[in-house]
Amino acid sequence: MSLLDPTFLRRLANLRLLAKRRFAGASAGARRSTRRGSSAEFADHRPYYPGDDVRRIDWNAYARLEELVLRLFVAEEDLSLYLLVDTSASLGEPAQKLEVAKHLAAGLGYVALTGSDRVSVWPFGDRLRTPTAPVRGRKRVGALLRALDGLEATGETDLARSVDELLARRPRPGLVAVVSDFLDPAGYARPIDRLISERHEPVLFHVVHPEELDPTPGGDLVLVDAERGHELEVTLDERSLRAYRARVRAFLEELAGYAKKRGLFYGRVSTETDFEEALLRYLRAA
Amino acid sequence: MDLLSPWSLAWLGLLAPLVALYVLKRRRQRKVVGSTLLWEAALRDLRAERPWQRLRPHLSLILQALVLVAGAIALARPAGGGQVPAGARLAVVVDVSSSMAAREPDGARIDRARDLARSLARDLPPGGAMMLVAAGAEPEVLAAPTADRARLETAIDRLRVRGPGADLEGAVALAAERLRDAPAGSRIVLLTDAAIAGNVPLDATVPVEVSRVGEPLVNHAIVTLDVRAHPTEESSDRADVFVRVARYGEGTGDVRVRASIEGGRELATRRITLSEGEPTSVVMSADLPPDASARGSVVRVTLEPVDGEDPFTLDDVAVAPSPASRRLPVFLVGSAPASVTRVLRADREVELYVTSLERLAEREDDAPPLDGLFVYAGATPDDAPAGDSVVVAPTGAAVFGVALEAPVERPTLVSWEEGDPRLRFVRFADVHLGAVRPIAGGSARALLTTDAGAAIAALPRPDGETTLVAFDPDDGDWATRPGFVVFFRNVLERARQRRAAGGIPPGPLGAPLRVPVPEGQRATVRTPGGATVVATSRGGVAVVDVPAEPGVFVAEVDGRERFALRNLVDPEESDLRPRATFTRSDGSGGVATVEAVEHREAWPWIAGALLALLGIEVLWGTRKGAPA
Repeated sequence: MSLLDPTFLRRLANLRLLAKRRFAGASAGARRSTRRGSSAEFADHRPYYPGDDVRRIDWNAYARLEELVLRLFVAEEDLSLYLLVDTSASLGEPAQKLEVAKHLAAGLGYVALTGSDRVSVWPFGDRLRTPTAPVRGRKRVGALLRALDGLEATGETDLARSVDELLARRPRPGLVAVVSDFLDPAGYARPIDRLISERHEPVLFHVVHPEELDPTPGGDLVLVDAERGHELEVTLDERSLRAYRARVRAFLEELAGYAKKRGLFYGRVSTETDFEEALLRYLRAA
Repeated sequence: MDLLSPWSLAWLGLLAPLVALYVLKRRRQRKVVGSTLLWEAALRDLRAERPWQRLRPHLSLILQALVLVAGAIALARPAGGGQVPAGARLAVVVDVSSSMAAREPDGARIDRARDLARSLARDLPPGGAMMLVAAGAEPEVLAAPTADRARLETAIDRLRVRGPGADLEGAVALAAERLRDAPAGSRIVLLTDAAIAGNVPLDATVPVEVSRVGEPLVNHAIVTLDVRAHPTEESSDRADVFVRVARYGEGTGDVRVRASIEGGRELATRRITLSEGEPTSVVMSADLPPDASARGSVVRVTLEPVDGEDPFTLDDVAVAPSPASRRLPVFLVGSAPASVTRVLRADREVELYVTSLERLAEREDDAPPLDGLFVYAGATPDDAPAGDSVVVAPTGAAVFGVALEAPVERPTLVSWEEGDPRLRFVRFADVHLGAVRPIAGGSARALLTTDAGAAIAALPRPDGETTLVAFDPDDGDWATRPGFVVFFRNVLERARQRRAAGGIPPGPLGAPLRVPVPEGQRATVRTPGGATVVATSRGGVAVVDVPAEPGVFVAEVDGRERFALRNLVDPEESDLRPRATFTRSDGSGGVATVEAVEHREAWPWIAGALLALLGIEVLWGTRKGAPA
């Protein structure tokens, strides 16, 4: 289903209403920055150091305390949401995985745009692909959806290189929603750690297909890796399936444990379930 | 360990295409997945857990190869050489008497015996040899002891039903003689329908197993056929056809007896009911005139059950010459003794023509040959005439190449051939002869011998025979004895029979025809069944091996046809019920008769099916790939 399909657009609208009703106090779109700024809302004082803007000295405090202190205000700024969408070939097998990734990214972007956040799409595979310019405002929902709709699954996965290239552009720190199956031979930990170290807040959305979690038993197959072209002869008997399921379980637990350890949101999205559920879970956690 | 069917190892040649198919064509179903990372890790886990699992992808090929090898070895029939004494011999004696032609529900008895013989040949132990003996009226070794399966197969194919009588005792003795020095484990297997009355003593020097083929069958048969003249006022050609039919088996049955002229019109038909042990006679009268050449016709009688089929057809047909063919032209050449003339004239079925050598010599060369019995009194021509002849009181130094010695007065009679048909019911005791010219030729077979030499002799030739009486019957008292008349009647009867058969000697059903044919020429015989058999003459006689069929055999020699009639009118053969008992000739006890069972081995079919399934599996697995 195209992202511009009226049905999907109605699902997005419903999602927004749902998000508002459940998280009314979250001031959708208007997020407080951790940075101090120049808004009217007082935040704190700090000692004056030479070179500081003298206009921000709190003279009333100086009168009472005989110390030069600066008035600090909460800096109200728009949040930057980076939709780091995996478009490697593994998302195309089966094709529903990429569809779910698109829907999820579209939902995130839609919620962000309606909250006056800045949203940009950063598709990646073996490297970072052409990102969209950051946009803001509800009127740019169409552009966002068109950009997402045009994504195609191709090439290998190299999350580390893609993150390196993203950070090389020195984007403003923001929310980095990584939508991927995380099946990267080089692993996912190092690039996510780099994002954290660069003051970004990664959010992990893990797209999975039921056949990947629990393959149908029976048959002698040659499994062809959609990204690398590797061929692997596999007999889907009980023993091999048992070993595979153990490996899958370990992988899922490892990924979830990593996110928990870093204090990151981790949401698993199956192609058989509605993406809205995972999105709402995220919003609730946020 | 030996292989009984080593050529079956050729199946191993399928290993090459099997591996080729596996290596070149085996295609699993391809399935594109997002990533094989986790599968690679899982397989690494498996291999670490069980290293031998590396062979698992090839397990199918290994199993297929093992099945193929095992199947090929099984088909090669491995057998341990120590189970049976090396060199053990097996003699298979097959009853080929007429009753073996009876049809059982699953085929003729002789066919079943053939199958059993083949089975025995097939199951010969390693190092074993087999011989094959046909037990007919005369035992015949069809194959000397050999391990050559091809020779045995050929010999078994030559097994066929012969005429009446089976000398089982002689055949077993013949086989035992050949196995006398054979190692332990040798044995004789007698395959017979045991349709013989009485006890059969079997040689006791070699173990004998009697296998019975055939079940008790109910049979209707013609047991006697005779056609006799019965002239009446209405017709001088009237004849009576006497047929005696019998039922062998319990109960009663209706049969239809039909008489007809061979190749011509039907004479009469009777429907009668037969009961066991009550042979029934049927008399049918008909006019049987001779043909234009004064020869009689052949009367053919058939027997047909009204309901169902008769299991034995050889005794359902019988043929006999008509009385017209009993009229024998006799050419009396020369001045015959009065007693001879008298006895010839006394026979109503003799057409006597008195002539001389001179008048015969005056006959044109292109005149038709005289067809009858020549009786020479006194002088004889240099060459014997075609057909049969009698020479009485010869006057020359030799008769047809046989020398005559000087007369001997009143020799003493020493012996006579009682078994010769001409001397049937003839005795020479107290007979006194006058002057006798002893017969000295080596080719002459003495019938009556005196202390001076042969007084009566037979001179056989391919195209006839001469009975030489080397004295004047009127000189002595023989002509006054009844034996004299009987002797000439026997000579006339023999001449009639030989003439009716066209010169082919009579014989039992299934016996080869001995057709007089000039040296080097061929005789073509048409059997009653319509088949043609050809044989080349050697020594003036073509021995034609004909099948055991009742009816008229027509031999064509040099454009002329000669006929031979063959019947099976033998109650012993017509009774198809097993009734013989077998004992050991040394009196050590009886020999058990077991019903012959051909053990058909099922394993070749099973092995073949396994190999076929293997082939299907290989083709399916490599061409289509295994289902996902």
